[in-house]
Amino acid sequence: MADVVLKSLTKKYGNHVVVDHLNLAIKEGEFVTLLGPSGCGKTTLLRMIAGLEKVDGGEIVIGGKRYTALPAQKRNLAMVFQSYALFPHMSIRNNIIFGLRLKRIAPIKIEQKLTWIVNMLHLKGLEDRLPKQVSGGQRQRVALARALVLDPDVLLLDEPLSNLDAALRETAIEELKNIHRKVGKTIIYVTHNQIEAMTMSERIALLNNGIIEQYETPKQLYDHPATMFTAEFIGSPPMNFFTGEISIEGRTAGVKTSIGFLRLNKDRSRRIISMAGRKVTVGIRPHNIYYVEHVAQRRYTDANIELVIELVENMGDRSLIVGKSSGGTLVRFMVTREEEFLPGRTMHVFIDGRSLHLFDPLLKLNIFGQDGTI
Amino acid sequence: MKFVRRYAQLTPMASSKRIIWVMGVLLAILTVLGPVYLLVKYSISDGASINTGGRPIPFWPLHPTLSVYGYLFSDRHFYTVLGNSLIIALLTVACSMLLGVPAAYILGRYKIPGRRLVLLGIISVRLFPDIASVIPIVEFFIFIGAHQTYWGVILSHTLLALPYVIFIGMGAFETIPQELEDQASVMGANRFQTFYSVLLPLAVPGLAAAAIYTFLLSWDEFIFIYFLTFGRQEMFTLTLYLNGLKYAEPQNLLAATSVCLSIPVIAFSMVVQRYMVAGISSGSIK
Ligand SMILES: Nc1ncnc2c1ncn2[C@@H]1O[C@H](COP(=O)(O)OP(=O)(O)O)[C@@H](O)[C@H]1O
Ligand SMILES: [Mg+2]
Repeated sequence: MADVVLKSLTKKYGNHVVVDHLNLAIKEGEFVTLLGPSGCGKTTLLRMIAGLEKVDGGEIVIGGKRYTALPAQKRNLAMVFQSYALFPHMSIRNNIIFGLRLKRIAPIKIEQKLTWIVNMLHLKGLEDRLPKQVSGGQRQRVALARALVLDPDVLLLDEPLSNLDAALRETAIEELKNIHRKVGKTIIYVTHNQIEAMTMSERIALLNNGIIEQYETPKQLYDHPATMFTAEFIGSPPMNFFTGEISIEGRTAGVKTSIGFLRLNKDRSRRIISMAGRKVTVGIRPHNIYYVEHVAQRRYTDANIELVIELVENMGDRSLIVGKSSGGTLVRFMVTREEEFLPGRTMHVFIDGRSLHLFDPLLKLNIFGQDGTI
Repeated sequence: MKFVRRYAQLTPMASSKRIIWVMGVLLAILTVLGPVYLLVKYSISDGASINTGGRPIPFWPLHPTLSVYGYLFSDRHFYTVLGNSLIIALLTVACSMLLGVPAAYILGRYKIPGRRLVLLGIISVRLFPDIASVIPIVEFFIFIGAHQTYWGVILSHTLLALPYVIFIGMGAFETIPQELEDQASVMGANRFQTFYSVLLPLAVPGLAAAAIYTFLLSWDEFIFIYFLTFGRQEMFTLTLYLNGLKYAEPQNLLAATSVCLSIPVIAFSMVVQRYMVAGISSGSIK
């Protein structure tokens, strides 16, 4: 077990900078996810840590030791590839003990470790089969077993669940969390799936074009997006964005947008009152827009908007509604399914001023910084 | 035939098209099996079924007999020849693989500078017809003392086979997913260990194909061995033995020798082919 520090790490393919002066510190025993859209450099970064990709600049320090130029086979790491990369000509047993044999561990010890890992990952009875003779979920567990049995300093996982169907993925997420709790290994997990990232990780490093947009706990990332990219990427259904201008109405500041004046909570209102006239992009999560049947019941008075329903999408226990404001702007929000909503109906929604996220439209950064909202 | 009919029914095709398709298949089968039939038929024919004195040659021998095989197998020289063929072919396979597999591995898995030039050089060896290159090569072999020696013959066959071994082997190594090699490295394997326990076993189907090809190449090679042995009977292989029989009458002896030349080829191909199908590297990715 060890901590991982990446200092100004850089990787180029020709002129294309894939990982750009990236800094990241992972604590010993921490479960960190590298999250980001396809092609943002997650796999490349993981392969650099594993020693499979030449480093073009910066340092990799693991457990206090400089790993930057150390060949892959000398690093005590383990990696699970997206494809699992099981050796097709070897039985499950030989796949699992391949690394132990290379380390010249005594056969009795190898058998003990094999028994331990096979039991932990429910692979008993499959030892003599070939990879092609077991199911996708089992292959995924073999890949994990093969990595864990080596007792690595750091476990690197590259989208290990992306080839599983939804139900299997849920179980696998639970299992991975359990394993992390049991063995307490430092885990670097790569995924483009925010649900996996949000449910499993202690911290998420959100990657975009080879740089880290934000490195925070899942809750912080969701509640306090530091950049517009984070705000767009995290959360489902995605955040609404409206362009507007900071203005003052009455004695509080807010944002004048095409759907109306959106008042900020008092605390933050005070902080932007001097910025009146400045152009901003305001973001609101669909979950933070409330529909209340009777105006008398309303709890949030910061903004009161009239919308005509355009589209209703069933999302299980709740529905996503796309409404159109009188100015023609589309707004996404959620309702419970106790009532039936049909397109064409007019409804009133309310927005809590505390849940507004304000971004600079050019810099794409949160105006309040990371501690900005709520 | 039944299979052909059934398959033709399964495929959705217009009936006229289907007839053409079936006839095409039948023609293909005839092309493949026709010569085999003729060879086998002649080898078990009695003299009267070959020299019919003007009457048409029967479809099946009038009095089928294995006597010509009996004659062949009682000839001591035939065993020497058979042994020569086998030893030369097997040692050619061994030499070609020993030299070709490492080259194929390097060329297939590393982006070494000048790779294209090396590949071009390797192909260029086979750009000349054998008959054009045989004289200078034999001259050279005489110069280095390899003329009329077994190792000279094996060397010449290895020269002929190497480009194929390298190209087929390179294809076999190239198609192995990079991630398997990466996985082995991360698990602590050095290059040799990765080669030996991951890449080589997975390349075996392709390498087996190269080995068959090399065996066949040596087994029925004629031109080089003709010039390199130059009349030394005790070094003759089956092809040279066959050459000596070309004017012998009746042709049943010629046919029987040809059958002997073909049988190991067919057997060897079938054995290794089964292995090739079984070894296809499925299950590594997904
Ligand atoms: N071997 C390579 N040569 C050139 N470009 C590459 C190579 N590997 C990856 N890339 C590029 O680097 C970028 C990041 O790739 P990758 O790390 O695989 O992204 P991710 O895993 O986040 O989807 C992509 O734009 C990809 O095209
Ligand atoms: Mg990837």
